[in-house]
Amino acid sequence: MANNPTNDSAVSMTKWQLNGQEVENHAGMTIMEAAKEHGIEIPCFCYHPGLSIAGNCRICMVESNRSHKPVISCSERIAEGLEIETDSEVAVDARNSVMEFQLINHPLDCPVCDKSGECVLQDHSYAHGPDRSRFVEDKNIRHTKELGPDISIWGNRCIVCTRCVRFCDEISGTSELCIVERGDRSVVDVFPEIPIDNQLAGNTVDICPVGALISHDFKYEARVWNMDRIDSVCGGCSRGCNIEVETLDGFVKRLIPRENLDVNDWWMCDEGRYGWRHLYADDRITQATRDGAEQTDSAATDALEELLSESGPVAFLIDPFLTCEELHLVQGLAASRPGSKVGGWLPADGTAASFPSGFQISAAKYPNRSGAEQVFGDQVFGDDAKQLQKSLLSNGFDTVIAFCGGHQSTGPGDSWTQALANTATRIVFSVMNGPWLEGASLVLPATAPIEKEGTWINEDGRLQRTRSCWNPGTDPFAVELVRLQALQHALGLRGRSLSAAGVFRELAAANTAFSGHNHSDLGSPGLLLSERPAAVASDGGTE
Amino acid sequence: MANPPGAREEKQERKTATTDPRKKASFTVPVAKGLINTLKHILRREPNTIHYPDEKRTPYPGYRGEHRLKRDELGREKCVACFLCSTACPAHCIEIVAEEAPWDDREKRPRLFNIDMMRCIYCGMCEEACPCDAIELTPVFNIPSRTRAEKIYDKEKLLSL
Repeated sequence: MANNPTNDSAVSMTKWQLNGQEVENHAGMTIMEAAKEHGIEIPCFCYHPGLSIAGNCRICMVESNRSHKPVISCSERIAEGLEIETDSEVAVDARNSVMEFQLINHPLDCPVCDKSGECVLQDHSYAHGPDRSRFVEDKNIRHTKELGPDISIWGNRCIVCTRCVRFCDEISGTSELCIVERGDRSVVDVFPEIPIDNQLAGNTVDICPVGALISHDFKYEARVWNMDRIDSVCGGCSRGCNIEVETLDGFVKRLIPRENLDVNDWWMCDEGRYGWRHLYADDRITQATRDGAEQTDSAATDALEELLSESGPVAFLIDPFLTCEELHLVQGLAASRPGSKVGGWLPADGTAASFPSGFQISAAKYPNRSGAEQVFGDQVFGDDAKQLQKSLLSNGFDTVIAFCGGHQSTGPGDSWTQALANTATRIVFSVMNGPWLEGASLVLPATAPIEKEGTWINEDGRLQRTRSCWNPGTDPFAVELVRLQALQHALGLRGRSLSAAGVFRELAAANTAFSGHNHSDLGSPGLLLSERPAAVASDGGTE
Repeated sequence: MANPPGAREEKQERKTATTDPRKKASFTVPVAKGLINTLKHILRREPNTIHYPDEKRTPYPGYRGEHRLKRDELGREKCVACFLCSTACPAHCIEIVAEEAPWDDREKRPRLFNIDMMRCIYCGMCEEACPCDAIELTPVFNIPSRTRAEKIYDKEKLLSL
C-alpha cells in the first residue's frame, strides 16, 4: 500500500529506541509496523495493513519522548533519536482508558454474537480492559438493519473504526458505506436505496474488528472456535485467491480470504466466498453407478479396471479443475494405452472485473488451465480438443474417460455431450448431475475444487498448493487422486499409492516445468514458475 | 545436600521435646471409647441401608442429577444457543443447532438441543458456564431406561423436566 514505504529499494535505516532498546528499521515506517518487526504487538482496531490510516480508535497509543501526550503508533512514524515506551505507565493507562471508553456502549452480546471467538474487541478487552463497568447510565441504542443482500449491521456493537467504510472507498471503489450521526450516536449506514452489493462486499465482514457487520450466509451457523481451518485456494476463477476453508464436523461453513500479497492481498470476491453451497446440493453425485445400477465404492474401482483392461486406445477428456497431480496420473494412463488421445473442455467465460486496489476477478471461471497446458502441452484445450471431438464424433474410440468436474452446473456443453454420447464405453467422473451423464457406462463421483489436494497454476503462472477439506470420516467415496492410483496399480503401472506430495515428486521428475520442486517448497505465497532460478530450470531439463 | 550448620542439634532438641509427653500417653481409654461406639452400632435397632426403590433417600443440596432446560416467565426456553455449555462440556455430550429466534428480545434460540446422558459425567460445568441460567442439574438420580436411544434427551424432553 501507498502508506507503507518499506518496499522502496533506496530506503535508509533509522535508529530509534523501543522500550529502552536501541533498534533499527527502514526509515518512514510507522511505530506500529516497526515494533512488530521486533516482536512487539501494539493493539489496534482501526489499523489494517491493506487500508489507509485513519487513527481514530486510539487504542494504539504509546509514550514518546517527542510529545507531552501519548502518540498513536499506527500513524506516527519512526525518526532518529525517537524513544518509544509501549508498556510504560502512561502508555498502559492510556490504553486501558481507551478500552474502558470502547466498552461503555458495547453490549454484552458475546454469547449470541457470531464474531465471538475471533473478535478483536474481545481479545483486547481480555488483555487491557477493566473487569467491570463504572458506567451507570443507559447504553446507547443504534440501528440493526440490513445493509445489503448479504450483510446486516448490528449498530450497538459498532466501534466506528471505519475499516468497512475505507474498504468500500479504497479497495472496491464503490463507496456505499458511510458514517451517519455524530459522537456516541455515530454508526455505519448506507444511503437510501443504495445497498452494499459490490462484488467484494463480503470482505467488510471479515475486517470488522467486532461483530457489527454480520454475513447472512454465516449467521448463527457455527461458533468460530468449534471450526477447523484448512489453508486452501479458491477454484472459482483463474486468479487462485488464497483462502481458508472453515469446516464444522467435516461440513464447510464458510470461506474466508488468506493473506497473499502476490495474488489477492487480504481479499476475495463474493462469488468465490459463497460458491460452495453446491457441495451439499441434491444433484451432487456421491454414489458410483454402472449402467444405472448403484455400486459400492470399491466395486466401482474394480469396474473401472475391468472396462479399461479390455479396451484399446482410450480418449481422455480432461477439465481445467483437475490438479497437476491428477493430470499427471491421467497422463500416466494415457501413455500406457498407445493411440490414446487427450483433449480438454473449458467452461464458458464469466465476467471479469478489476478494482481500484488492483484486485482482479478473472473471466476464466476455472483454476488450472495453465497446469493442464504444462502437463499436456499448449494445445490441450485448443487443436487437441478439436481433433478429439472430431474423432469421437466419427466413432474413432470405443472407450472414453471424461472428467466433468468443477462447480458449473452447465458442464461440458452440448457439443461435448454429443461427442461423448457417440462412444460405446463411457466412463465419467462428475461432481454434479447433468445431461453429459445420460447413458454413461460408469459414473464415478468426483471432488469439487475445494475438496482437492494438490497444486494449481493460476493465470499468472503461479504454482499454488491447495489443501482439501475432505473428511475421511464422513466421506462416501475415494477421491480421484486415490482412485486413479488404485487403477494404475490394478493395471500394473504403479507399485504403491502415494500422497499428493508423492505424486508431485513424480511429476517434477517427469516434467521440466515442475522440476526441482516439491510441495514443501511452495509455502504460502506459492511459486511463480517463470521466475524460477535458472539453475533449477536447467537442472531439471536434463531428465 | 549438606545440612546448614546447627541443623542437627536443632533436630535433636525438637525430637526430645515431642517424644517426651508421648512416653506417658496411654491408649487404653481411647481404644475402649472406640469399642463402645462400635458396640452401640451393633446393638442399634434400625438398619443403615434403605429399601430402595420403595424408600428413596433425599439427595443433599447441590446434588448433580438429570439435566433440565428452564423456561422464562412467558414460557419460552431461556436458552439462547450460545454453545458455552457444549464448549465447557468435558465429555462433549451436548449437541446444539441454533436458529433465529421469533421474538424481539433475543436473536437466537436452539433448534436442536440434545444431551447424551450416557456420555454425560454429571460434572455440572454446563450449568456453571451458562450465561442465561438456562440449564440446570436437578437432584433426580434414578433415571433408568430400556434403550440407549432413550438416553439422548432432546429439547422437548429437557424442557418438560
